[in-house]
Amino acid sequence: MLTLLKLLQSLFQTLHSEGTPGQVAAGIVLGAGIGLTPLLSAHNLVLFAAIVLLNVSFGGGMLGLALFTPVGFVLDPVFDRIGVALLDAPGLRTLWTDWYNLPLVPYTNFNNSVTLGSFVVWLASTVPLYFLAKWAIARYRASYGQKVMNSKFMKGLKASKAYNVYSWFRPQ
Amino acid sequence: MSDRRFRIFRWRAVGPLLLFLLILVVLWVLFADRIARREAASNLSETLGTEVDIASLRIREADAAVDIGGLAIADPRDRMRNLIEAGTITVDLDPVPLTEKKIVIDQLRLSGLRFLTGRKTPARPADPNSPAGKLLRETEQWVQDKFQFPKLALGRIDTVKSLVLNPEQLGTVKAAKTLLGTVDSTRDAFEQGLAALELKSLVDSSTALANQLAKTDPKTLGLTGVRNSVTSVQKAIDRIKQAKGSLQTLEQTAKSSLGELQKGLQDVNAARLKDYAFARGLLQLPSLDAPDIGASLFGQQSTDYFQQALYYAKIVQRYVPPGLQPWNRPGPKRTRLAGTTVEFPKEKEYPRFLLRQGDIDLALGSAAQNTFKASFAGITSQPALLGRPATLVARGRVGGDSPVSIDLSAMSRHFGSSPRDSLVARVAGVSLPAIPFPGLPFSVSPGKSTLGFGFSLAGDRLTGMWEISSDQVAWKADSARLQGASLVESTVWRVISGLSELQVRAELGGTIDKPTLKVRSNLDDAIATRLQGLVGEELVKAEQKARAAVDQLVSQQVAALDTKVNELQSQALARLPVERGQLDGAQQQLEAQLKRLAGAATGGLKLPKL
Repeated sequence: MLTLLKLLQSLFQTLHSEGTPGQVAAGIVLGAGIGLTPLLSAHNLVLFAAIVLLNVSFGGGMLGLALFTPVGFVLDPVFDRIGVALLDAPGLRTLWTDWYNLPLVPYTNFNNSVTLGSFVVWLASTVPLYFLAKWAIARYRASYGQKVMNSKFMKGLKASKAYNVYSWFRPQ
Repeated sequence: MSDRRFRIFRWRAVGPLLLFLLILVVLWVLFADRIARREAASNLSETLGTEVDIASLRIREADAAVDIGGLAIADPRDRMRNLIEAGTITVDLDPVPLTEKKIVIDQLRLSGLRFLTGRKTPARPADPNSPAGKLLRETEQWVQDKFQFPKLALGRIDTVKSLVLNPEQLGTVKAAKTLLGTVDSTRDAFEQGLAALELKSLVDSSTALANQLAKTDPKTLGLTGVRNSVTSVQKAIDRIKQAKGSLQTLEQTAKSSLGELQKGLQDVNAARLKDYAFARGLLQLPSLDAPDIGASLFGQQSTDYFQQALYYAKIVQRYVPPGLQPWNRPGPKRTRLAGTTVEFPKEKEYPRFLLRQGDIDLALGSAAQNTFKASFAGITSQPALLGRPATLVARGRVGGDSPVSIDLSAMSRHFGSSPRDSLVARVAGVSLPAIPFPGLPFSVSPGKSTLGFGFSLAGDRLTGMWEISSDQVAWKADSARLQGASLVESTVWRVISGLSELQVRAELGGTIDKPTLKVRSNLDDAIATRLQGLVGEELVKAEQKARAAVDQLVSQQVAALDTKVNELQSQALARLPVERGQLDGAQQQLEAQLKRLAGAATGGLKLPKL
């Protein structure tokens, strides 16, 4: 229940944050990267650091993570097939062999079919996902944003301590 | 307005990010050892197909070393026993390959090693679907499929027992039916082949031509007539030569088919011998041949040892692939789909796992009593990168009052043209556990013995040996069962219980598909002689009865088949020379006419003198 509340809190705060729709969409795209790919891989540390350090919406990142984690589970068999096809491709063998023997790169688990497949799918979907999210947020703010902002729920949410912590990562 | 300027970085979030990293470091310090211990135990369990326990594991980051305590590897075939226990293991890692997620161990020290110790709690059975679980089942099935030993545990030899055989059970009947079909088809093929040559019409037309020309004076034919006649004769001779060639081919084919039929007859006879054995088995007669007795007593024990050796050799083959091709293995266990993890080895790079050098201390006796040294080296997941075999050498003496001397060497060579895993061991002065005799109410405790074992798997080829030698054996009988034992069983007991010496040697050979096993012991001849004296006559009667039961069902068929094959052979081989003779006769007649025509054609010409 608490997780659900936090998710809702994050969702509303993100949608109404002072960040531009582009910043929120960029956060969602980065968060989707963490959500779609298996968590314990080094590239996710890089993605998380990017969400924190880059001037994108942190809430957007968390929203992307929350939305795309279940999608990742569902699409795992597809990722596996894509990953196996890529790892078995004779034309790419030299590339994989070089990467496999480089420092740090193997910690990304790129040589795992699910990790590679999901990462490639995420990479391919970043641009369309960014524009889709940007359009959706702009549309939401124009149509429902003000009403939700003035609701009692939202006022209560903004008054909570969690909001203060969140504001550290608010886009500038 | 400057506040509204877009900035790429959010510098004030550096603090929280560093805090997050600090939390990760703290979590690492708190839980890394525990997680690593659990993962190591889990991975080793999965690889070896048995429970592996690790009591403690400590990562010393500053020294790039790991201390492991209380390692116990359970016996996959006996859940209440550990195969190996190690007191402490110190692992010195090479830190550079760790950056490539590769484990290279510079030095491994293993002390307090014990073998075959009891467990307080039963080990968890291997996951039957794991690779190791499947290999265990495969090798157990291999033993069941490939080795059957004659039984010595028998009831009384009953020559009166009725023996009713079903013809469908007999291999001879099936083989005879199959061969009968082959005989018929061979005869048909031969007849058709001969008919297709149309030899009779050829001989008739050729003879008629020769006769016609014989009655004709060539001078009356004129030059054109002679030329036409010569052409006709030459064509007829060509046809005869062609027919003779075809006849020769047919003869070769027939001889080859007849050879196959003779081989088929031999197969029928071999099936008959098997049927005798089958019928003999129904009468439950013991085999009194010395080699069979060795196999009866120690065959099971031998295959037990060799099966274990094959299981571990197969595990090594599975996890240590030869060559430098990408290697697929299951991905890590996690909530998400595991997928497939592919390794991409590369020349002059580190392998995924390498143990450069390891030393072992045993836990028996004090240091002063031990002259034992053991070491292993070159153990790697990609031997082709290392270019030398993995080796294990252990030699020396342990213990004071009753020393055990050990001489062991093992090698795993998984690069080059043919992978090979081998082990040779000799242990003297070791107390061995009791060896039960399958189905018999007694067992032998070899006492202090000398044990030799060798095993090698090279590609598909197997070589193995185990031998035991002891002069302090003790025989144990289940007295209740022994009282109701059969004549054979009680005779065997009387023979062996008076012996104090035991010498057994088993030799494994052949391939995995067609293995061979020879087992000999010093008990064989003694038991065989005694049993033959006691029950030999009865046994001969029973053997005759078994043979008669088979013969009654198959003799007629086999005799008829034999006659049919021989008839076909004699008819076919007798007919071909006749046909050839007729062709030769016709050819000779035509050649005579050709000569006459040629003489007539050149009769008016004066040929130049040479």
